[in-house]
Amino acid sequence: MPESIPASLIIDTLKETFREARGGGRHEPLGWILSVPDTHQRTVLAALDKERAIRVVTCATEDEATTAAAGLYLGGEPAVLMIQHAGLYASVNTLRGLGIDGRVPLFYMIGLLSREKDKDPRESRHSMVRYCEPLLDTFAVPHARLEGPDDLELIPEYYRLAQQRRGPAAVLVGLETI
Amino acid sequence: MAMKPEEVLRAIAAGRGDAICVPTMTTAPAWRTLAPDDLSITCVGFMGGASALGLGLALARPERRVLVLDGDGSLLMQLGSLATIAGARPRNLVHFLFKNGVYHTSGAQEIPGGFDVDFVMMAKGAGYRAAYTIGDLGEFRRRLPKILTEEGPLLVELVTGLAAETPMTARGGKPFHQQAEELRQRLLRVGA
Repeated sequence: MPESIPASLIIDTLKETFREARGGGRHEPLGWILSVPDTHQRTVLAALDKERAIRVVTCATEDEATTAAAGLYLGGEPAVLMIQHAGLYASVNTLRGLGIDGRVPLFYMIGLLSREKDKDPRESRHSMVRYCEPLLDTFAVPHARLEGPDDLELIPEYYRLAQQRRGPAAVLVGLETI
Repeated sequence: MAMKPEEVLRAIAAGRGDAICVPTMTTAPAWRTLAPDDLSITCVGFMGGASALGLGLALARPERRVLVLDGDGSLLMQLGSLATIAGARPRNLVHFLFKNGVYHTSGAQEIPGGFDVDFVMMAKGAGYRAAYTIGDLGEFRRRLPKILTEEGPLLVELVTGLAAETPMTARGGKPFHQQAEELRQRLLRVGA
């Protein structure tokens, strides 16, 4: 059964991911979060408000978040997108144009709001949950499920994968963070 | 008489120094000729993205000016970026808005609201540090040195006629992924 992940563990993992991306050393900010507020990951966003090491840019739309993340990448800065599945649907053309045709590494943490604890997301009664993985498959975006604290290593792994393949990669946050 | 966009771009190219430039749509063909370097990145393939791409670059490289060469139709596609940019407060971002009232590239259909859309008011309302309109080339040339050093985010609405070329009539140029890689490598070399 999936478990909720504490915000503090996700933030520690993000810090490690950014440190690795920078090859160690001190840097402020360590990295950037581009976010369109997501109910599912709200405890992480609330905790990030108090973090000095990671800078959060709240965006009006996922198109902007994705595009700003690309600009940060071009400027040499590590960035993570935190959005919701509905925002992924809303920004598919930008994902395609920048991530696939544009070959920009984009790493997404996508909240599966309304995902049922006892169901595989592909069998959810909510279309926004059910179609998320098939949509990523359609665009050949590698993805993995973040189903509990034991899966946190998937964050640096898929971040690295996005850099290596020069394209998008995603982890899907299964249950609301706590 | 509305300014010729090519003349405006020529002035910007002459004064930009080492600023990173983000042209899009009808500013792209002329810019390709005026500034054929690797410090520019053309926004193509992700509609309306020039402003947000410029934001990311400006945040990543605060020591450098970033000049977005946007269009009115393009900005309308990601109008929320005005608030996103204002919220992030990039001091080094200048947002030039080429206002011709139409979607020139797709056949010159009028944008919603046409010339009546007040982007200056919207930028100010969103929280840009300053925003104003310029419709005369002489005035633009006079004010450009200050614009290029003024604290941002700043929006300059430029009332222009239609460009001689659009991305549909003047195809070509490097693909986005190649421009992106060249710009990144150049910026990483400088930052190293």
